[in-house]
Amino acid sequence: MEEKLICKDIMKQYGKVKVLEDINLELEKGKIYGLIGRNGAGKTTLLSILSAQNPATAGSVTLNGEPVWENREALSHICFSREINPLRDNGGGKGLKVKDYLRAASIYMPGWDAEMASRLVEKFGLDTRKSVMKLSKGMQSMITIIIALASKADYTFLDEPVAGLDVVVREQFYRILLEEFAESGRTFIVSTHIIEEAADLFEEVIIIDKGKMLLKENAQELVERAVYISGREDVVDAAVTDLHCLHTEKMGRSKGATLLLEKGQSIASSEEITVQPVSLQRLFVSMCGEEN
Amino acid sequence: MQEFLTQEKSIYLQISELLENDILRDILLEEERVPSTNELAKLYVINPATAAKGINILVERGVLYKKRGIGMFVTTGAKAAIQKRRKEEFFDNYVKTLLEEAESLGISKEELIGMLQNAK
Repeated sequence: MEEKLICKDIMKQYGKVKVLEDINLELEKGKIYGLIGRNGAGKTTLLSILSAQNPATAGSVTLNGEPVWENREALSHICFSREINPLRDNGGGKGLKVKDYLRAASIYMPGWDAEMASRLVEKFGLDTRKSVMKLSKGMQSMITIIIALASKADYTFLDEPVAGLDVVVREQFYRILLEEFAESGRTFIVSTHIIEEAADLFEEVIIIDKGKMLLKENAQELVERAVYISGREDVVDAAVTDLHCLHTEKMGRSKGATLLLEKGQSIASSEEITVQPVSLQRLFVSMCGEEN
Repeated sequence: MQEFLTQEKSIYLQISELLENDILRDILLEEERVPSTNELAKLYVINPATAAKGINILVERGVLYKKRGIGMFVTTGAKAAIQKRRKEEFFDNYVKTLLEEAESLGISKEELIGMLQNAK
């Protein structure tokens, strides 16, 4: 059987509020997926359901055909390295030191690579005798990165791994991730708000908004479909008829429109209009930003 | 291979272009091994699948070829082939845009020819 993590018709409800709806996803082995969505879109909830840390209200998650819920064998292949939240204290115990936190993780993850963990601790310059909760946000992110990578899990989810990290460490992390990916062929899902710099890391992008999945597509192909066209309003309007327009903006007689072209459609610059490429970040803002 | 990637163009096209540039500049020599997909991925911080797509374009063009189990190599004659192809694309990539811009500014053909003749 093909190795896949499949989530089917996932719905999650807290009280009357649906935080996830109609989520259907197939995650293949050996890909890096980018998960993007605004604050509160449901990213963390989705990752916690995929890793059976949180039950779905409806729907199923299966790994290679087996449900992951309360399935120790399946869960030994999945690691969800959560953001450390000092207010929620999800580390268990206020005074937990970094080394104890890592030891606890090693117990949960059967494939734990202790050598890799200590190599990364050294690379990031972490003091393992310090209390986790007393570390800066960036240093806590380093711990979640170490746990994710050293878990060696086939399916590894990183929730906001670069939050609070300075730009040098972020670059370091991207390279470490690529190195591990090249060597192991593991599957990674990385959620991030720093889209611009992480966009090229992803083979596929998953965009969720208000609990719904907007798309899952090859990152390069998606970006190639997106264009920004600008010119005099009537010329732009005429050019975009029948095209999928995500967002428009006007100033005086000029108009700009972000388009998502379908296969076979194309639009080129001319004397009258300018057509420009759109980055993943701009595309995301056009799709999930405020209404026109 | 030290050029930066930009947002203006697909990443895999840029990868193939900068490998070609290095061949034109004798940074990569014919019959020499080029960096692997994973090496390129790490250098440019991009997904290896994207880097592979860039390399595949050059394999299809016959600029690179695969030696099983060793890696990708620059084909003999690659440099001349790249120059030939770029010459063929020169009209579309440069002359056309030049003519379009000249037209929108009301520059006549004679004026344009004059400019080219005086240009160094």
